[in-house]
Amino acid sequence: MTHQPHLELVDPTSEAPESTARPAPRPSSLAGGTIGLLSNGKTGTAKLFDHLERMLRDEWGVAEVVRRTKAHYSAPAEDTLMDEAATWSALFAGVGD
Amino acid sequence: MTSALRHRVSDEAEAIAFATKSGWGDGLPIVSPTVERVQACLEWAAMEPTQVIGVEPVKERVLTAEKVAANAVLAGCEPPHFPVVAAAVQAMCAEEYLLHGSSSSTGGCAALVVVNGPIRQQLGMTGTFSVLGGGDQAALVIGRAVRLVIRNLVDVRPGDLDRSTFGHPGKISFCLAEDEDDSAWLPLAQERGIPADGTSAVTVMAASGPRQIMNEWTTSPEDILETFASEIRANMLHYSIWGGNYAVLFAPQLRDKFEAAGWSKADVRQFIFERAQVRRRDWEAVGKGAVVGTSKADKIYRALPTPDHLLVVSAGGPAGGFGMVVPPWLGTGSAAVTVPVGACVDC
Amino acid sequence: MTGERRGVPSVGVMTTTFVDAAELMARACGMGGYAFAVIEHPISSATDAQLEAQARSLLDQAARLLLA
Repeated sequence: MTHQPHLELVDPTSEAPESTARPAPRPSSLAGGTIGLLSNGKTGTAKLFDHLERMLRDEWGVAEVVRRTKAHYSAPAEDTLMDEAATWSALFAGVGD
Repeated sequence: MTSALRHRVSDEAEAIAFATKSGWGDGLPIVSPTVERVQACLEWAAMEPTQVIGVEPVKERVLTAEKVAANAVLAGCEPPHFPVVAAAVQAMCAEEYLLHGSSSSTGGCAALVVVNGPIRQQLGMTGTFSVLGGGDQAALVIGRAVRLVIRNLVDVRPGDLDRSTFGHPGKISFCLAEDEDDSAWLPLAQERGIPADGTSAVTVMAASGPRQIMNEWTTSPEDILETFASEIRANMLHYSIWGGNYAVLFAPQLRDKFEAAGWSKADVRQFIFERAQVRRRDWEAVGKGAVVGTSKADKIYRALPTPDHLLVVSAGGPAGGFGMVVPPWLGTGSAAVTVPVGACVDC
Repeated sequence: MTGERRGVPSVGVMTTTFVDAAELMARACGMGGYAFAVIEHPISSATDAQLEAQARSLLDQAARLLLA
């Protein structure tokens, strides 16, 4: 059998496999809980979150709303912030605009 | 660790067609990343294929030597260019550079790469004529390789994770060699901690588009630097007020004035540190009165958190009292990073 | 997204122009099914009445995304 000439190309793209991360379990209610509002610091987000905070307290019976701002626009929140977040019942993060 | 995926094709023509169809390129003609070409880069740099150049922290992407070399080959790099590409990628993977955030942002920045040391001569880089416009072909392919790594290995492509509204031409390639030989000043890398023992290095900065200034009507360093500072203040008001790294390039005709007056790069940094600042209320004059507010209207913003945040570079052709101001992507959201160029057999 | 990895039910808030990027980011980080709330763009120049309406939409979507 004749040898067929060929070239081999090295794939230049990422071959990262999908991770096995799963979403956190959902509670049936957030009444009495603590909710974190994580802002990316953009103008308008604070005012949007002001409205959201009021609605969460008045209508969902949320006991405490914690407001935090991430330092950088497109980076994940810092580890210390996430340590605090791990104590919350739920969190909102945004706004990508 | 396993080696990179391989694709079998029958000949060079099919290789180009396959690579193009797979979206590996940037739209310009490419060089197919054959095993032989990739291996030649790795041998030149004395690197194993699975050696880790860096890890992009957000998506935890491991960037191996063979994958970075494949992108260097695609871009048109020859083996001697590869160690510079690898060093630039390593620098961008430093956490403080914020590779994912800076490259995916609507701000549309590019990775400015400044090359220092003997490797410039080896690669025929002069850092003179048209230094930001393709004057050094080695710089052109090195910068292009960096962008292909961002596209292919960090998965940041326009319209997908790359949300750049405009971007700028530096996103195609934005690399330059500093003109160390015709300058009385210390090279940028040495100012940033690389020893003066023949070590080559790269400095990478997440950068907006460059802006040219001109002041050839004075011999006064203060007057010349005031023009630079004014351009920086304009950027703060027009684009982004947040301070961080700025790069300033000085052509020989301007550098002569500083040498004659005995001004070092440190003197330049100190002057611009002091002069490159604005008040919040200055926004009113440029149509941004809506965000000035009343309580912080007199707040001062500095372009540079410290004088050392200014990257001063000698570059450009011999004629013309021109300078360049290269603003940051977004304040201290990204920090410039300097790393030495690794194993280089012949330089 | 990083909240989910710490066991905290999380809602990412994006405006309509960011939806595609958010989906891609979720895929890239290996959580293809990550849900997020989408509200009207823009935020930075919205009036207070518009922001209140956007917060209302956000709350309605969050009820579906955060509660069992």
